[in-house]
Amino acid sequence: MVNGTKTNKMKRIVIICILAILGVSGVKAQQGFDQFEVQVDGLGCPFCAYGLEKKFKEFKGIRQVKIDIETGNFTFAFPAEKALSLQAVEEQVKKAGYTPIAASVMRNDGRMEAKHESPKKVDANAKKTMASTRVAGNCEMCKARIEKAAMEHQGVLSASWNKDTKILEVGYDEKATSLEAIEKAIAKIGHDTEHHRAHAEAYENLPGCCHYERIDAVKK
Amino acid sequence: MRTSLLFSLLLIVGSCTTKKERSWQWIQSIPLDEINPIGLTFTDEGLWLSDGDRNRLVLVDEEGQLLRTVDSLERPMHIASSGNTVYVPLYGNDLIAKISKKAIRALPLKDSLDAPAGVSVYGEEMAIADFYNHRILYSADGETYIPIGEEGKSEGQFYYPTDVQITEDRIWVADAYNNRIQVFTKDGRFVKALGADQKMNAATGIYVDAREVIVTDFENDRVLVLDHAGGLKQILAEGVEKPTDVVVHQEKLYIANYRNGSLQVLERQPD
Repeated sequence: MVNGTKTNKMKRIVIICILAILGVSGVKAQQGFDQFEVQVDGLGCPFCAYGLEKKFKEFKGIRQVKIDIETGNFTFAFPAEKALSLQAVEEQVKKAGYTPIAASVMRNDGRMEAKHESPKKVDANAKKTMASTRVAGNCEMCKARIEKAAMEHQGVLSASWNKDTKILEVGYDEKATSLEAIEKAIAKIGHDTEHHRAHAEAYENLPGCCHYERIDAVKK
Repeated sequence: MRTSLLFSLLLIVGSCTTKKERSWQWIQSIPLDEINPIGLTFTDEGLWLSDGDRNRLVLVDEEGQLLRTVDSLERPMHIASSGNTVYVPLYGNDLIAKISKKAIRALPLKDSLDAPAGVSVYGEEMAIADFYNHRILYSADGETYIPIGEEGKSEGQFYYPTDVQITEDRIWVADAYNNRIQVFTKDGRFVKALGADQKMNAATGIYVDAREVIVTDFENDRVLVLDHAGGLKQILAEGVEKPTDVVVHQEKLYIANYRNGSLQVLERQPD
């Protein structure tokens, strides 16, 4: 009877040890991955979002792919030993036809790397001039792209595009830029504006769902 | 004399009322908990939904409650059924899955797909919307497939087709980013395009019956009801938010709302 109790105790200890070892190795396996997070230029629909995911499957070993269509937040895990660079991740996003806004990775060893556009120099005393213009586009992806192109332009202080009215409201420093220059910058990335028509190539490079009905720009 | 005249008039009015087609009217919204539906189809078991975001197929009851789940399906899209078998295009791994109570099998295909987004079954016939290849694959016997269409914006060409339906003598395609429906004969000849004048923005899902062609206008948050010639009969917008698919079952029209995870139900009612 006493021997039986001892045997049971031994058994329990052995089981606990095995579970502990399995637990540790499980954590180690989990820790063998770098955790990536990419903010992608507004993923409007599931077809686009899943297409982006499909493109990333070319990266062998990718795991835990998660896409939030509403926010454009795209996360995944990748084997740490492959040392995937943020540059390669951004290139892959572009290859799929999308625009990465920011990207970061938590490396397996705890290091954090981030990549995003450096902020523009803004004149603190700049007087904000408000203006509006028509910009062609279709969806949330278009909205993100148009607003990003406007905001990256030197002298632009605010930008908001309405998907339904197709009107871009923009605030800018008159000393640094003009509405015409902002329109040109937007046309350059593939979106027709009231006064500037995008090049055919830039238009064709937009993802399928962003192929809006083209407008005839009126020359100023 | 006056009485008989009045009677005749009432008879005429009465017969006109009877002939007048009833329009669809919203009756109910069914909330779906943690489901963002893309495709829907009915079997004897109930309503099946593809939940692409969660890589699964779900069977729900009339209140939208989960009855059964088939997991580990890579991005299932616009589904179809025949008997109690559900056909599921798997956008994520380029397969068509055939799911019955007994087994899950991948449909053998000689041609390779690139992101199948829709499937239709009609007897032995099968059609697949092959999204990134900008084409439809059609088979009259379920074995040999012919390709229909190519990438482009002209008649007979596609720009990311997302759904397809076979009827007795035609193949109907939701030509999503050309914002129209295209119709083909079963030997692949272009017949006509519908809805191109309706300013749709992503025509993602389609349902066709003897009377109507119903199409989801994804970005514009509406569903259009057309006649077979393309004439607009009705615009359905109440409760509709990022619709991806539509089906008519037992005189009720079901719309899958992807954005807010719900089903909108409509019935034919007098105007």
